[in-house]
Amino acid sequence: MNKVGIVGVGTTAFKARWIEKTYYELAYDAAKLALEDAGIDKKDVGGVVYGIYNEFFERQFMPDVYIHNYIGMGLKPSVRVATGGATGGAAVFVGWTWIASGLYDIVMVLGVEKATDNYNYAVGHPTPETLKAILFSGDMTFENPMGLTAAASYALPMIAHIDKYGTPTEKQMAMVSVKNHKNAINNPIAQSPKLLTVDDVLNSKMITYPFKFYDNCLYSEGASAIILASEKVAKSLSDNPAWITGVGLSLDKAFAGERDDITIFTSSLYAGNDAYKMAGIKNPIKELDFAELHDAFTGAEILSYEAFNFCKPGDGGKLIEDGVVEMGGSLPVNPSGGLIGCGHAVGATGVMQTGEAALQVQGRAEKRQVKNARVGLVQSIGGPATAWTAAMIVERQDKIRVQRGKGTKGQGVKGARMKRTKGKGSKGARVQQARGKR
Amino acid sequence: MIQNKEQWLEEASKKIKVPKELIEKAFHDELNGNPSIDAPLEVPDIMDITYKYTYGGISRFFREIRDNKQLYGTKCTHCGKVWLPPRINCNECYAPTKWVKLGSTAKIITYTIVYYATSVFYGKTPYVCAFVKVEGSDTLIMQNVFLEDVKKARVGMKLKIQFKEYRNGDMGDFWFVPAGEDLQHE
Ligand SMILES: [Zn+2]
Repeated sequence: MNKVGIVGVGTTAFKARWIEKTYYELAYDAAKLALEDAGIDKKDVGGVVYGIYNEFFERQFMPDVYIHNYIGMGLKPSVRVATGGATGGAAVFVGWTWIASGLYDIVMVLGVEKATDNYNYAVGHPTPETLKAILFSGDMTFENPMGLTAAASYALPMIAHIDKYGTPTEKQMAMVSVKNHKNAINNPIAQSPKLLTVDDVLNSKMITYPFKFYDNCLYSEGASAIILASEKVAKSLSDNPAWITGVGLSLDKAFAGERDDITIFTSSLYAGNDAYKMAGIKNPIKELDFAELHDAFTGAEILSYEAFNFCKPGDGGKLIEDGVVEMGGSLPVNPSGGLIGCGHAVGATGVMQTGEAALQVQGRAEKRQVKNARVGLVQSIGGPATAWTAAMIVERQDKIRVQRGKGTKGQGVKGARMKRTKGKGSKGARVQQARGKR
Repeated sequence: MIQNKEQWLEEASKKIKVPKELIEKAFHDELNGNPSIDAPLEVPDIMDITYKYTYGGISRFFREIRDNKQLYGTKCTHCGKVWLPPRINCNECYAPTKWVKLGSTAKIITYTIVYYATSVFYGKTPYVCAFVKVEGSDTLIMQNVFLEDVKKARVGMKLKIQFKEYRNGDMGDFWFVPAGEDLQHE
């Protein structure tokens, strides 16, 4: 597989409502920003992968075809990805394969969502209709009639986890909310920058047990694009590109009642293990410098610490208590503010977070820059009961990784990477092992 | 500017199936103000499809509930796993299944309490959604659990099935209540 670089990033503001723009106008804004950031023209783009979740949000089926036209990409290859909340991350995954396979030299990944053109006339607010639009993603025969909201979909594994391990506690979850709202203050695109206290979160109204108002992300509207490039092109465009060195994608049983273990985010475990293996990461808590996780709900961020092996199952809450995942900690999580701080513009979210990871490793993250950010993890979750996870490892130029490898730990890491890219045997083993596991 | 407000409201109401007063409230500025020609223009709309949907191979599951107040699962003819929701084949063995009668008791494996829901569920909040294990089944099914106090829902709670008086042949035809209590939900 060929190396895949990120050479351009562009994200519109994430807002409760973009009344002044349609979904393709928003898409255009993100595309323009990303092309300018990469210093290329739209004619240089080999193909576009679109991430758009919900037809009822956009009030349009096949919205990608109109965007492709609107942003002047006519006749270029294009495909749309829709994997629920994981749409943005899965779109990046597909775009990555287009470059890694050698098919194209430059690919745009463009995520967009208009979630609040829905409107509930009885309450004078979009949210009930937005929830209704999402409910069509639950199995229409066996789940939709039960009133399973997106929050409930996350709450089911959460309660099972709390029952088994006693964590995360409501206070630990509240601390994640405080952290992500606070981190968003440093992010100009964020919808919900706020200084909250743990009590503010604990005293906010219950939405879906155990999630209170401030445990939830807000629905958002926005667009985000990144430009992926082959090694040769990436190096010609930038002396400091970001690289996607590991990817993973897993879809767990959507009828979650069939799962062997409903207490953990199994798809994140699998996607994470695949991404780690590809990138040669053996000890994530030590090797990762930051992570952009899918904190649709505070507890989801904590269960993700565990699924991505930052700690043992049940111990995730300690990482927020000990400050490990705070901006000054050893593994800051969601320096961007995540979904809770930025808002969740579904198809755009995972693209935005991948773009954020690129800005971090390139040292371009301005006020939210993590010191010496070299390697980061990005996660996108979607589907019923967190069925889908896309995971990406984003890192700086190899030479920086190699420099770090002058210590004892890094040599091993570098060795693993070489084996992966050069040795066909190890790749086969990886695929086989992954198949055996599933 | 909208020429005939009354006619516009009448047509909008018919189109999106919302009372005129609510539409008037939502479009107050467009109807009564003087927005600039470049101001964002919003329009009432609805996406609406009717169906005559088939349950296919699991039709019997819903007829048994509707006509006989009886829950059925399906058992794999190869591995013996009992599926609920039922399916006519096993995704582990790729073998056919056969219908088996299930019991009327169940247990909560995990649950949540929904306080804020879609418009379809107004008046029903707070309600409990749970993955329950029905006696005789190897998988979990999602269902509503009705309690006098939703906060009393617990993992491991023992339940019994209750059926609706007038049943339509869908998942809304039954639910669960705590096993020991004499609670009739309707
Ligand atoms: Zn079987």
